[in-house]
This record gives sequence, structure tokens and C-alpha cells, in this order.
Amino acid sequence: MNLYRSHIGRVITPIIVSLTYIFLYLPIVVLVVFSFNDGNFAQGWQGFSLRWYASMIDSPEILSALKASLIVATSSTVLSLIFGTAAVVATRWLRSRVYLSVFYANVLIPDLVLAIGTLCLFSTLGIPLGYKSLITGHTVVGLGFVIPMVAARFNQIDPLLTEASFDLGATQWQTVWHVIVPLLMPALIASSLLVFTLSLDDFIISFFCSGTQIETLSVYVYDQIKNMIDPRINALSTCLLLASSVSVMTLSYFKILDQVVHHE
Amino acid sequence: MRKLREMLHKELPLLMSLPAFLWEFYFLIIPIVVIAAYSLLVPGVKDGIALTTEHYLNLFSTSYAVIIFNSSLLALVTAVLTLIIAYPVAYYLAVRAKRFKNTLLVFLILPSWTSFIVQVYSWFYLLQKKGLISTVLYRIGLSGEYVSLLNGLGASTLGMVYCYLPFMVLPIFTVLDRMDNRLLEASADLGASWWQTMKHIVVPLSLSGVKIGLLLVMIPAFGEFAIPDLMGGVKRTYVGSVVMEKFMMYRSWHSGAAMVMVSIFIPLLIIALFSIARWWWELSSRGDA
Repeated sequence: MNLYRSHIGRVITPIIVSLTYIFLYLPIVVLVVFSFNDGNFAQGWQGFSLRWYASMIDSPEILSALKASLIVATSSTVLSLIFGTAAVVATRWLRSRVYLSVFYANVLIPDLVLAIGTLCLFSTLGIPLGYKSLITGHTVVGLGFVIPMVAARFNQIDPLLTEASFDLGATQWQTVWHVIVPLLMPALIASSLLVFTLSLDDFIISFFCSGTQIETLSVYVYDQIKNMIDPRINALSTCLLLASSVSVMTLSYFKILDQVVHHE
Repeated sequence: MRKLREMLHKELPLLMSLPAFLWEFYFLIIPIVVIAAYSLLVPGVKDGIALTTEHYLNLFSTSYAVIIFNSSLLALVTAVLTLIIAYPVAYYLAVRAKRFKNTLLVFLILPSWTSFIVQVYSWFYLLQKKGLISTVLYRIGLSGEYVSLLNGLGASTLGMVYCYLPFMVLPIFTVLDRMDNRLLEASADLGASWWQTMKHIVVPLSLSGVKIGLLLVMIPAFGEFAIPDLMGGVKRTYVGSVVMEKFMMYRSWHSGAAMVMVSIFIPLLIIALFSIARWWWELSSRGDA
């Protein structure tokens, strides 16, 4: 009986795992294949072509959405990285790390709540929605990832290293720049890649807070696919998939994916 | 001058941590307070402030109760289905995958690092009328005509499970990955069956991960509007879609704000019920042993 049951576990688990990966990748593979189709959805497969990529690059709406997304993602990554790292380093000197756990709320609070909150705040103050509201919202989410990841790395730093730096006559700033920041680098790279990707992919905050003037990539895609299948969106999606693959592979190559996983 | 420098030196940590905390206060805490204020105020009162619980009381009317029920059901079904799929995957990755662990992990995370809008869109080719699945069904004669599988509860649930799966796998994986594998060997050496090992060692150790996974899936799933909107047609309404309509179309922000507040509390309520169930389960399994 024991033997029989252990076989169930041994055989069924790998089958479930394989089926799960097929489930995850089947739609993605179909999407990517049809981005190279020389025809639209109704015509079926018409042979290989790059025409949808060409028409994607020619589309002014896609280019301006890309520009908006890149501006928001870059600004919120830079802001959350600087503010977050400064806060982590400083609270260590204050000898109190308790305050940092406040920032776990940023990840746990649903995007919908944050988006509606930002929307309400900006309209109550009479500030028009746009880059400002998008960047503030995305930076709040960003801080929720940067601070725990950088703090985890900071805790691993051997205090002897900073003491040695002070003993050798380095000032606080020199210690920060030449000792602490280089040691934090893996966490800084990992968290900035994560925050950039999350911002680029974000839909909910972008949907509620972008206002009438700008449109980010995911909002553009949402508006397009509500109506019908558009092979240009396949081309665009393939590019987005490629971008996130590069960022995940980079993390995995530098062996810092674990940090991301353990904090996601 | 020297005094100034000394002061700056002393206060430097405070100054450095200030931006992050101010940001947190102004752009996270204040916005939630503003939502709460909207949900409690009477619309259109220009002079002074008039408080009301009307927006919350309205939520008890039948039409809203149905919407809240729909969203709870969607969140619950998504959570249960992702848990059923995620648990064996997380177990396999943490305990059995060994050499392939990192590769499998990368490929698990990869889809979720793309916008979920793209993930939903990728299902369109499979589910649409004359899409891959309906074509196959038609060709092998299982259905007499091309059918669109893109409408209804089934498609929304599929989309939800697809998008939320990694958020259930990762926390369970994290906990099981830290588990000492010698525990499993010891259990086997002592003659425990696979089932006994699972019940008395693996499952109890993984419960904290399961709880985080449930949080990560249920809270956003309750407020989700884009996935059911894109995949399920307009047959059912959910809390997220009502919030969206109230804020973006009808501009009835006050009752919308009340719904947002509810969307924070109801998932927490469901999770509290889960914790009670877990506590009860622990008590009863202790009784077994």
C-alpha cells in the first residue's frame, strides 16, 4: 500500500507540472507564431512575414504610448531606487529597522485601491491627471519592492567591513559610496529591473490615472483588443514578451532571481 | 559653521529617510484617507461637511449584493483552483526538481513578467470563434458549428487562473524550498507513507506560504475587472467593473469609493475565515496523533 501511494506522488506530480507548463506556454507560443503571419486572423496562416512589425513601427499611437510608458517606468524606477536605498541606509544608522516594514503595505494594497486613491487625491487637489499621477502611483509600488529587497541585502553586509572603513579614516559618505553601495549592487540591479518591468506592464494604475492626454502601452493594448484581434498587437506583445524575457534572464544569469522570488 | 556641519551630520540619517516616508504618507496613506472620506460624505454639499453612511447602506441592496457575491465567488474559485494547480508545482520545484529548479523557476515567472493584458490577449487566438480550439472541436466533429469560448464564467476563470498562478506558486515554493529535505528522509526512514509525510510534515510546514499565496491571489482577484471584462463578455458584473464604471463613466465617486473600501475588507474577511478553518484543522489533526 505504501509503495502504491508513493508511486502516485512520484508519477502524478511530474505530469501535473508538465501540464501546467504547457498551459502556461501554449497561448504564448500561438500568439508569437501569429505575429509573423502574412495575413490577419480570419485568413488563417498565410506564410511568414514581418509586415505587422513594420506597421507597428509606423503607427504613431504605438510609438507615443511606448514613449509615455518609458518615461513613467524610468522616472518611477529612479525615484523609488534613490528614495528606497537612502531610507534603508539611513534607518540602519538610526538603529531602527522596524519602520521599514510599513512599506510592505505598498505591495499588499491592491492596485485598484492605490489607483482610485491617487485619482481621488489628484482631482481633490485639482491637479490634472497625467505623468505626475502615473509616476507617483508607480513609485509607491516601486518602494514596496525596492525597500525590502535592498534591506535584505543590507542585513547581509558584514558590519566589520563598514567599521574597517571608518577605522581607515573614511568619512560616512566615502563609506556609503565605496563600501555599502558596491555591496548592495545585486539588490539594486534586481529591484530596479523588477520595478521597471512592473511599471511597464502595469495596467490598473495606468488605466485610472493617465487622464485624457496620455496613454501607456498596456492601456493602448486594452483599448485595441476590446474590439478585435489585431496582428499589430501580436507584434507589440511579442516585443514586450522579449523585453521581459531579457530582464528575467539577466536576473537569473546574475543569480539574483532568488531575491526577487523570495520577495514577490 | 562647524556647529551647522555637526548638526547636519547628526540629522543626516533622518534627512535621508525623509523622502521615502513623506512619499509613503502623501501618496499612499492620504489617498486611502481621501477614498474613505469620499465614501462617507454627502455629494454636492458646498458649505461645511455632511457625513452619511448612505453609500455603505446602499451596498446591502440586492443588486449590489449580487455583484459582491459574484466577485467573492470569482476570487474564491480562482484561489482554490490556483492552489490545486500550484501546490504540486511548488512541491516539485522545491523538492524534486534539483538541477532544473532554476530553469523551471525562470519559465514559471516569465509569463507573469509581461502585462496581464498581453497574457489575456494570448488566449484570444485559442478561444475565439474560429480560434484554435473551436476549429479543432469542429473538425473532429464534437461541435456542429464554430463556437466562441470567450464568453461566460468559464473563460473569466481560466484567464484569472492563468494570470494569478505564479503568485500562488512562488510563496509556497519559497517556504518548501527552505524546508530541510532531511525531514522527508527521516520520515521515510521511520516508515511513514507518502501520505503521512505529506499530511504531518510537508503540508503543516507550507501553510504560511499558502496563506501568503491566498492573500496575493484573493485580494487583487476580488477587485479584478479587466480579465472578466475582456474574457467573460458583459454577462456578469463584478466589484471591479462597477468601480470602473462609477469612476470613469458616471462620475458617481462617492458610492464608488464605498465599493473600493468594501473591496479591501471582504477579501480580508474571507482570509480570516480561512485562518479559522486552518486553526480548526490543526486542532483536529492534533487529535488524530
